[in-house]
Amino acid sequence: MGLSLSALAERKTLWPWLLLLPLTIYLALFFLVPLIEVGIMSVTEPRPGLGNYEKVLTGSLYRKVFINTFGTALLVTFCCLLVGYPLAYLMSTVSKRAAMGILLLITMSFWTSFLVRTYAWMVLLGNNGPVIWLMTQLGIAEPPPLLFTRFSSTLAMVHILAPYMIMNIYTVMQKIDPSLIRSAESMGAYGKSLFRHVYLPLTAPGIANGSVLVFVICLGFYVTPVLLGSPREQMAAGLIGNQIEQFLAFGLGSAMSIILLVVTLVILGIYHRRFGLDKLYG
Amino acid sequence: MTIKKTHNALIRPNRRLFLQGTAALAGASALAAPSIGRAQSKELYINSWGGPWLEAATENLFNPFTEATGITVNTVSPVSFAKLAAQVRTGVYEFDVTTLGGGDIVAANNAGLLEPIASPYPGGLFQNGVGSHAFATMMAWRTDKGWEETPQSWADFWDVERFPGGRSLQRYPARVLPLALLADGVAMEDLYPLDIDRAFAKLDEIKEHVRVWWTGGAQSTQLLRDGEVDMIGIWHGRYFEAADAGAPVDFTWNQAELDSAYWVVAKETPNMEAAKMFVEFATSAEPLAGFVSQANYGALNPAADEFIPDAAKPRMPTAPGNVETTFTQDMLNWGGDPQEVAMRFDEWLAS
Repeated sequence: MGLSLSALAERKTLWPWLLLLPLTIYLALFFLVPLIEVGIMSVTEPRPGLGNYEKVLTGSLYRKVFINTFGTALLVTFCCLLVGYPLAYLMSTVSKRAAMGILLLITMSFWTSFLVRTYAWMVLLGNNGPVIWLMTQLGIAEPPPLLFTRFSSTLAMVHILAPYMIMNIYTVMQKIDPSLIRSAESMGAYGKSLFRHVYLPLTAPGIANGSVLVFVICLGFYVTPVLLGSPREQMAAGLIGNQIEQFLAFGLGSAMSIILLVVTLVILGIYHRRFGLDKLYG
Repeated sequence: MTIKKTHNALIRPNRRLFLQGTAALAGASALAAPSIGRAQSKELYINSWGGPWLEAATENLFNPFTEATGITVNTVSPVSFAKLAAQVRTGVYEFDVTTLGGGDIVAANNAGLLEPIASPYPGGLFQNGVGSHAFATMMAWRTDKGWEETPQSWADFWDVERFPGGRSLQRYPARVLPLALLADGVAMEDLYPLDIDRAFAKLDEIKEHVRVWWTGGAQSTQLLRDGEVDMIGIWHGRYFEAADAGAPVDFTWNQAELDSAYWVVAKETPNMEAAKMFVEFATSAEPLAGFVSQANYGALNPAADEFIPDAAKPRMPTAPGNVETTFTQDMLNWGGDPQEVAMRFDEWLAS
């Protein structure tokens, strides 16, 4: 009896894995195999050895671009948090319907393609755009250039990535039991102290989830910084594309991709030890 | 309509597929058309530049070719030098025929990416490519800046005192370095081989004024048309696009840099016969004349001249009256390894 029960349990636990099979095969074929080939290429082209890695890790250009990539990703994450946290809070306090309305407005930007959103910023921030016009109307004789600066690329990336932050924080805020806040108040925690000791720690998982998502996505950004950013501030993805498209340096580009991937995995690993990756999904 | 819908035939899980993710993100989206089963000779895949190029090529090259031979032409975007290399290495072909500029064709031929081809007209062969048309990188500017003088030369492009404002150049050192030397006073006939160090020293002077190093033709048109920069080194066809849109702009043929585009056949492509037929067709007098007349290029096959209407000539960089003040890019006597210089240029850009 006990035996057949455990057999049943075993069969039960097998089912979910079977359901995952198509996805596993798909990922293995279309993601893992190419990825392994990228890894192989990074140590075989143009000749076997670690030459590509040596080049990337010691070359001043590559170091600069990697530092800039991580710096930009940090900055964008921070800005998204700054913008997203209050907005998520607002959503968690208003009525369900109003919250849905805000959510709709936020997700609406997902309906437009990356490229269109990037060009929209070019129109808005351009020399003949409304922002510069407003500045001149306000009496600023020589408005500073907005386009093709770190400002414009950061702004556009924050715009594109903020929804990830907002939705992550909102999900967590929504689940906070209001009675926790009330009991904190009854214990004498108000304003700043209530926020610092009760609300902020309760929302920390949302902040962490949103930040990791935004940070990791931002690391791979390509089109937006190329079209909107300053020529001096290159991102790694753009440089990788350039190595391959312009120089046919498949090995070097692969090595850079692998390094970017490894660093990203390390960050995710640290996050996992601290918070648990499973939290990213719920 | 014989031209099928443009598609990106990324299909098999090959390694380039992964690498091209970035390019795919920039350009296209659709995954379609398996390469398996496209080895028949009744179809040809051509790498397309899109925009006005595609319009002119469809009307004057692709459709007439299909009518003459019964071979259907499909176009594949975007134009990618890396893809040409990738498909030769993997044996998975997305396109059979593409066009390359003078800078890339030398590198491509050295890398063994090009199928040897016979010249369809005398003097038409260069590095296993067949000369199709010339295009210019020239100086253009906004006329609404209130400058007292009109810029004449690349030296004026560098002169931010007399012509204050933002600048833009192509992010392509093979074309930009000669311009820097001209600005530094080197005569057009003494340019090659280039003095690379001197060119970089001159570029240092303009660096902070170059707000954008453009990477795409459409982008350069937009920069000039919308006045994001006040002076730009731009392909002539892209300039006329901005001018035709009514932007307050002007240009000069003086010291314009002529570059040539060559039709090439991808090494060992399964559609070799059709591909070679097409290259011969596209560089023959009448189709080429129609193509360059519509797209404002300069025909490289002299036989095309008699079919080119006079009305089309003022916009052609190679027409009499324009060509005298231009110079031609010399990739064989360039003055260094273009790839190495390009790496140095990238480093210079980020520093």
